[in-house]
Amino acid sequence: MKDLYSEIATVVVLLIPLSFILWGGYLQQVTGFLYLFVLQGYVAWFLLFRTGQFFFGYSVTMAMGAYGTIVLTEIYKWPLLASVCVGSGMATLISVGMFFGTCRAKGFYVGMASFLLALLFPMVVEGMRDISGGRSGIYFTRLDSLVGPDVLYLLIVLFTALIVAGLFAFMRTKTGTILTLISENDDLTQTVGINTIKYKALAYVIAGLLSGFGGALYVNYNGFISSIDVDAFTTLYIFFIPLLGGRKIPYGPLVGALIVIMVPELLLSIERYLRMIMGMVFILVLVFLPEGVGPGIEMLLKKIVSRFRAAPVTAVES
Amino acid sequence: MILDGLINGLIMGGILSLPVLGVAVVYGITGVPNFAIGLIGVFGGFTTWYFLSVGLPLAILIGIGICFPIGYLLQGVLLTPLSRKKEADSTLFFLITISFGFIVEGAIRSVFPKPTISIAFPRLGAIHIGDVSADGFKFVALFVAVVALIAIRLLEQHTKAGRSLQATSQNLKLATLIGINTNQVFSLAHGAGCSLAAVGAIFWGALYTLDMGTGWHLGFMGFIIAVIGGIGNIWGGLISALLMGMVMSFAGYFLGGVWQSVILYGIVILVLIISPRGILGSERSI
Amino acid sequence: MAEPILRVTNLVAGYGPISVIKGIDFNAYEGEIVGLVGPNGAGKTTFLEALVGNIEIREGQIHFLDKRIEGMSVMKRRKMGMVLMPQEDYIFPFMPVKRNLQVAAVLSRDEEKEESLDFVYGLFPVLKERERQIADTLSGGERKMLSVGMGIMTNARVILIDEPSIGLAPKIVTALFENLKMIKEETGKTLILAEQNVKILKIADRIFGLEAGKIRFCEKTEDLDEAVVKELYMGE
Repeated sequence: MKDLYSEIATVVVLLIPLSFILWGGYLQQVTGFLYLFVLQGYVAWFLLFRTGQFFFGYSVTMAMGAYGTIVLTEIYKWPLLASVCVGSGMATLISVGMFFGTCRAKGFYVGMASFLLALLFPMVVEGMRDISGGRSGIYFTRLDSLVGPDVLYLLIVLFTALIVAGLFAFMRTKTGTILTLISENDDLTQTVGINTIKYKALAYVIAGLLSGFGGALYVNYNGFISSIDVDAFTTLYIFFIPLLGGRKIPYGPLVGALIVIMVPELLLSIERYLRMIMGMVFILVLVFLPEGVGPGIEMLLKKIVSRFRAAPVTAVES
Repeated sequence: MILDGLINGLIMGGILSLPVLGVAVVYGITGVPNFAIGLIGVFGGFTTWYFLSVGLPLAILIGIGICFPIGYLLQGVLLTPLSRKKEADSTLFFLITISFGFIVEGAIRSVFPKPTISIAFPRLGAIHIGDVSADGFKFVALFVAVVALIAIRLLEQHTKAGRSLQATSQNLKLATLIGINTNQVFSLAHGAGCSLAAVGAIFWGALYTLDMGTGWHLGFMGFIIAVIGGIGNIWGGLISALLMGMVMSFAGYFLGGVWQSVILYGIVILVLIISPRGILGSERSI
Repeated sequence: MAEPILRVTNLVAGYGPISVIKGIDFNAYEGEIVGLVGPNGAGKTTFLEALVGNIEIREGQIHFLDKRIEGMSVMKRRKMGMVLMPQEDYIFPFMPVKRNLQVAAVLSRDEEKEESLDFVYGLFPVLKERERQIADTLSGGERKMLSVGMGIMTNARVILIDEPSIGLAPKIVTALFENLKMIKEETGKTLILAEQNVKILKIADRIFGLEAGKIRFCEKTEDLDEAVVKELYMGE
């Protein structure tokens, strides 16, 4: 029950920034950008911590959704909606393809293969720069000009909240529970007679689809994409989002995205030391807060609350 | 033209084999895939460039020398204590080493005045093979790589430290029971691996240029080439480095710059999918 | 009678929340072979691992050479002179036989190494024959011999061996046990052998019976009633 409350609370919190439209400006802009990564972060959260699959290819799926949308819309003149769908579909092909390619390998090698793909992908984009714009990138303002930045922003917040709520709901279904079982003990679940491959493939389909969709949203909101935006570090940052924020709590990716996206924003003035600081933050969290920052804060809050209560109660306790 | 490609490939492979070796040594003995090793080596390269005023040989020594304690401390202070925790697995180390790479990257940017450098080596004049000519220095690089490998092999077989290293990598538990200070072995191995990467980076800096991207590139390439050769397997690493060097060289000719690396990474992904233990198998247990 | 070289009182140890060893008293005198017998799962391996420092103990004391060693690291206990040859993975697989033996002597001085090597080769001539062969390619019995040889090369005063006879053919077991007896007689080392195989009764000076984490009996072998041992294995 407690989980359900946190989940509902998380979705509610996610919807609050809908109101930011009243202020607009920088707050709205940054929040929109943040949400694009909150979305990816939840996909990573879903795939890794709810199903136990190590996948480092989020930048690739995101990119497929983005570039797919652009290419189909601009070059082949498809309607936007169709491009988004097909772009997301292509992303799914990648994620499922990686899954089947690596399902024979164990443990670390699975992650390695997808990470190498993430390293490889920007180079492919570079190589196909006639279509993709390579490093210089492509501008894409179709949706922006169709509905305007405010509606676009609302759409992003809404879609993100909806997807997150959808993931929560999905995890409560029978299929979702089976996936959790698989993440806890793959072999045992197989012994019981469940076809884990089928379920894992499903998880990858969902992840690819959502990530690709997120990529399409990204390019529509940002108006621009280049091979630098979807390099291996993007996928690492996305991977760190649920890791930093807290893997077992529903609002983990939200906290994680806040850290990963906002800290660099705030520290733009010392950009020179940015990577260094992010690196240290990552290591500190990985070593001292393996559960993530979220639970760390929770514990801190609990301590503070219990100290407030301790005063009048000590007499009774001793 | 084929000869040209072959020679260039051999040279590139030879230079690459050094970070590959570094990765192989570190992974083979400690089980940690250190992706930051390229950047640590590049840090050494930058250091050498910085101290060029004291003369080339000394500068090289300083550059290599500074990477040893970096690796040693990284292992001793961070990685070894972490590996005792239950939840530690390769992915955790992967993330940690990459984060450490970020730190090294930041360090390079803040300490050194320029983000891109090239190390000036004395030009040795061209050597002609057939109708191909290449700078003599490139052959020196290849030569050094091979010598380094042989030296390592010999050290391993004939010194007490080398045997402790071998033992630790083949059976950690037994090595500890026998009384080998395996923690020390790990730290030494890591320090050595980073120094090797530094040698590779210094040569790279002499022949091409050094910057952050190169650092990540060397680290990743070192790792993937080591994987192809069967990670932990030193000779396999050298052979696969030479092979990959040639693949890259030819890919570069026929397809142009960027596709070089694409082909390389593509091959590695294929290898990982088909045969996760690498083509030549692994001498050490993973 | 002299003081025991190794004395254990009320040892409690295990893995995670489970205690496998539930309060054991144990001792060994210098120069004797002590057999620790018991069925599968009795806790023999856990006990040896606790002695050598691979697992932390929950309660109890271990005295070795009159010092308390519960808090000491594996390395320190090894330097004091206690070594464990484990049940599995007891050799360095990709090194030649001779190298295996040399590595085991890592803490010894060079003269000691030569002496010990000669002794091991005298005891196990087949190891000298195969000294350049890669350890992984040896037969099961030869590997065990190598493992025992490595134990000798460590120059430890107390050698713990976990199930020396496991997986070996009966003839080889007999030969191996004879060799262990010879080691005790010629070097004066203390051997503590955890064994399921009752043939150990032929060479051990004293026997401890372990079942479900507790010592059921402790007797000199000559005083031991076979029926008691049978009961240990058949259950109550």
